[in-house]
Amino acid sequence: MSAPKVIELPPESRGTSLAPPGAPDRVIPRRQKTLRQSIRKDWQLYSLAVLPLVFFVVFRYLPMAGNIIAFRRYHPGGSIFGDQWVGLRYVRLFLSDSTFWHVFTNTLILGGATLLFTFPLPIVLALLLNEVRTRFLRRFVQSISYLPHFLSIVVVAGIIVESVSVDGVVNQAVKAIGHSPIPFIQQPEWFRPIYVSSEVWQTIGWGTILYLAALTTIDGNLYEAARIDGASRWRQTWHVTLPGIRPTMMTLLILNIGTFLAIGFEKVLLLYNPLTYPTADVLSTYVYRVGILTGSFSYAAAIGLFESIIGLVLVISANFVSRRAVGTSLW
Amino acid sequence: MSNVSRRKVLAGAGAASAVALGLAACGDSSSEGSGGVPNSTQGPDVSKNKDGAMDKYGVGDQFKATKPLKFSIMILSNAAYPYNANWLFFTELTKRTNVTFDATVVPGSDYNQKRSVMISGGNAPLIIPKTYRPDDEQYIASGAILPVSDYASLMPNFSDKIKKWKLEPDIDSMRQDDGKYYLLPGLHESVWKDYSLAVRTDILQKLNLTVPKTWDDLLNVLRAMKTIIPAGGYPMSDRFSVPPQPAGANNLLSILGEAYGTHAGYQWQATTFKNGKFVYTGAMDEYKQMLQYLNTMISEKLLDPESFTQTDDKARQKFSTGMSYVMSCNAQTIQNDNKQDIAKIPGATVVKIPVPIGPIGAAMTGSRLENGVMISAKAKDSPNLVAMLQFVDWLWYSDTGQMFAKWGIEGTTYTGNINDGSFKLMPEIKFAGLNPTGTKNIQVEYGFYNGVFAYGGSTKLLNSQFAPEEVAFQEEMNKRKVLPVDPPHPLSADEREQVTLWDAGLKDTVAQNTVKFALGQRPLSEWDAYVSELKAKNMDQEVDLTNKSYDRYKKAHG
Amino acid sequence: MVTVDLRRRVGATTRRPNQGSRAFNAVNAVILTGVVVATLYPFINILARSFSEEHAIRSGQVNLIPKGFNLTTYRTVLTDGTFWTNYGRTVEYTVIGTIISLVLTTCYAYVTSKKQLRGRGLLIGIAVFTLFFNGGIIPNYVLVSHLHMRDTLWAIVLPNAISVFNLLVMKAFFETLPTELEEAAEVDGMGTYGILLRIVLPLSKAIIATMVLFYAVAYWNSWFSAFLYMDRQDMFPVTVYLRNLIYGATSGTNEDASTDTALQIAANIKAVTVVLTVLPILVVYPFIQRYFVTGILLGAVKE
Repeated sequence: MSAPKVIELPPESRGTSLAPPGAPDRVIPRRQKTLRQSIRKDWQLYSLAVLPLVFFVVFRYLPMAGNIIAFRRYHPGGSIFGDQWVGLRYVRLFLSDSTFWHVFTNTLILGGATLLFTFPLPIVLALLLNEVRTRFLRRFVQSISYLPHFLSIVVVAGIIVESVSVDGVVNQAVKAIGHSPIPFIQQPEWFRPIYVSSEVWQTIGWGTILYLAALTTIDGNLYEAARIDGASRWRQTWHVTLPGIRPTMMTLLILNIGTFLAIGFEKVLLLYNPLTYPTADVLSTYVYRVGILTGSFSYAAAIGLFESIIGLVLVISANFVSRRAVGTSLW
Repeated sequence: MSNVSRRKVLAGAGAASAVALGLAACGDSSSEGSGGVPNSTQGPDVSKNKDGAMDKYGVGDQFKATKPLKFSIMILSNAAYPYNANWLFFTELTKRTNVTFDATVVPGSDYNQKRSVMISGGNAPLIIPKTYRPDDEQYIASGAILPVSDYASLMPNFSDKIKKWKLEPDIDSMRQDDGKYYLLPGLHESVWKDYSLAVRTDILQKLNLTVPKTWDDLLNVLRAMKTIIPAGGYPMSDRFSVPPQPAGANNLLSILGEAYGTHAGYQWQATTFKNGKFVYTGAMDEYKQMLQYLNTMISEKLLDPESFTQTDDKARQKFSTGMSYVMSCNAQTIQNDNKQDIAKIPGATVVKIPVPIGPIGAAMTGSRLENGVMISAKAKDSPNLVAMLQFVDWLWYSDTGQMFAKWGIEGTTYTGNINDGSFKLMPEIKFAGLNPTGTKNIQVEYGFYNGVFAYGGSTKLLNSQFAPEEVAFQEEMNKRKVLPVDPPHPLSADEREQVTLWDAGLKDTVAQNTVKFALGQRPLSEWDAYVSELKAKNMDQEVDLTNKSYDRYKKAHG
Repeated sequence: MVTVDLRRRVGATTRRPNQGSRAFNAVNAVILTGVVVATLYPFINILARSFSEEHAIRSGQVNLIPKGFNLTTYRTVLTDGTFWTNYGRTVEYTVIGTIISLVLTTCYAYVTSKKQLRGRGLLIGIAVFTLFFNGGIIPNYVLVSHLHMRDTLWAIVLPNAISVFNLLVMKAFFETLPTELEEAAEVDGMGTYGILLRIVLPLSKAIIATMVLFYAVAYWNSWFSAFLYMDRQDMFPVTVYLRNLIYGATSGTNEDASTDTALQIAANIKAVTVVLTVLPILVVYPFIQRYFVTGILLGAVKE
């Protein structure tokens, strides 16, 4: 990005980020002294935030009070805030349940593996698409690649199960190389690769959209400058393109780290079976079976809070590290 | 009903049950403490809730409210015959009973969740049908649903059928630890076995075999079939595995488990009543023997290993291309799936065979109750409570009401009588396999035979919907001895919470090992190690708690 | 004051393709072809099944070309009045929902992108916190119920108006815009509203197009809110209708109507559903795509 330029201002200007009139060559953000002064200066900005804040308070923070049932005994049909305090009973229940820790570990592993592959691959694809010369071809590939995003989970699960069945596509290839067919869906060690591959397949095209939008913001002059300096395509990518999309990348990375525990239960539910429980059972499927199906909402709420706290801690840490390491952060 | 205060009634109930305990052994259906009749003959005080109700309403009476009434109800909309407010069913119902519905329409795909949310959110309708056991149990602790057993005296047809068909033990199995039950179940006169195996009869003919009667017979049939099946195929490749309940091959395990005297697959129960007490099903010897049988099937390559995990579509594909000859089915799927799937195979025929017989002989278990109606607790304060209960009683439990809900109006949609064999649908009306050339579907056009209102009933009523083939199947099955259902062992809300957690871990272990032992991934010689694993997951504690609540209930209620 | 957009695509590279460049292009082509095949093949298969005859589907004969071409399922669905009523609802919810979401998200993203704004951290924190903590289904249901929004359009478009994910992405985008442009506009006497409308938004076509796409698709595919808050059939969006159709056709319950039509429907209803849901998006998407390639203001600011 180009260096900040100095701008002379007439005295009656109302900027917030500029030096006081008459000050030479320094652009210092001046902190407002009192709250009232900042509100008065930026009231228009604050006014833009009013409606969204109302949204957050009414539709996000008000219902949050419902989480109280993690600490109170709740019965479906009774008061939505539960009937009586039970303190940490449910927390203790799940902390001491060995199945809980097992599925928690599964969730960590599966979430981590998914993140490892689904984060960088859309970037790679976006970059590859960017290098395609013919506009038509580029748009064609990009439009096709996002199609899997629109398939419902049921359909995707059906496609996956069919492909890895004993006479499905994958086993045809296995047979072609002389091996006997493998019943993938029945083997716990294959669940994670199958799940992660399906996630990559489903999200890679859609994920490129954001990056392609970000790519359009890169100053073309920078490429010119780099080319003039003799940079090859690869160096141009490394020094111009990647830094250009870095804010988008880091935002997405931090968000994904924060939410990586939230593996949706519907997909796992459709792909797993008792033989693969050891690797496939995750927090959400566990909570679904034990909490929701049986009406033990308090238990489910307690686990939900546990997940939320972890997620929040992760996001704060990721944000901190990002700020220190690369200078971009959410806040 | 006289103006007796509730306290007096309860005191009377206590006295009556004390007498009953002293006089009769528990389980005797004539004792006052069991069956559909509450401990007192009077029930709770409903003097303020009689608005619109009939003064004299009994078995055989047509219910008609004394003034127009409107009841809120949750109606499941099945996409095969989507909800239509203008159905003849609704207009005729109003004509006969003076009742109209205020319907909350819920798509069938997510009925349970919507019901749960509405009840929890406090605005559930008064009448909540399509509720399967034990889904009602989670609402009991909060007092959100009515203990309908208290009001059974206001429902003469319901009580009459229980007595007539000797359903008291089945009803008892629904009772909670307060001795009451909270669901008005669908009542069947006889056990209704629907699921069995579909077998390619042309292949049997080719191999000069007869329809297998026992599970051992089946093994021999499968062995013979193996000699002619194309390479890559298995004589049997099963369906009904997704979602696993709890292990996959849900029907195969269900009928096999029953034949061995245990519970598996669809009929899985955590505990089984054996020799006077409850034991953990997954650790029973009978369960092990069943797994032994499955293992034999797998190791001799008679059963496709994918049976435990494949989708129904996949299983059907194999059947329709002649890569398998036997699979699970029910009355519906044998007509719609199996018969259609083999249509392109020349000469192929398929039949639903009577359930094969195992070590326990020609007997079957099974409840004669099915999904039913919950009543919201808010109804207690409604001035129309009695009228509503009479209405529910007439529509769901009276002979005329059941006939109306199922087949409609005599002279308009059908002629004749189901009791003497003269019953016939009008020629232009079609339903399932009956009158295929008819132009008007009785469900779609008229709203009759709707799963929300029409189920259960006498054997004759049930048979009127079946193709002759199915009727033959039912008659064969009904010759078998019916084994008693397990006695009630209701848990308190606290206990249920704890058991739910233990059960989750135990069930997973059982499910995994069921498939592993069957497939041979784990040798049955490790059975004892497996039982130790179950013990480590609190199996003994769960069984103890179950037995304690069984004893407790026996002492309190007889 | 501002330059015309560069008609070239971004990342223009050298004009002389050399050896390494050609090899790279070849590898790129292979990879992208793989992507197209992997993503297109299942979709073509689904398309073929939606037009195929029941038995062919059941016995696994349908691959890329329909076998036993018929329009039975399409006809059944498309001639059902309820389908069109619900389709209209979907469009209604999508359009209104997207507009509301876009306005709210853009405003908040713009405000929180101002690094010197006092209280900015708090505003961002308020949003991020909701990413992790929510009340669950029942408290939300009770809230919507008390606000008397059940069975109204508002139950769909208000409770999910802002996606914090989209918000943060948009904010990151705004932060990359050169501040000189806004500062210059301030010099000229423009207020905040003016700057937002006349300077920032025209510069942000790519991100706005992206947000429109994200929100519109989310509303288009959503069914859960509608299912939860709507008790009347005519208020359901088409997703609920189709979902119920699939369930009814494939659940094998004993009371189902069963005819040849029903069997045909059961065989390919899922495929037909996919096609009917994706088609409109496929049609609309190319119009949005052009915002991704051209039209960004770059470079010179008057000095």
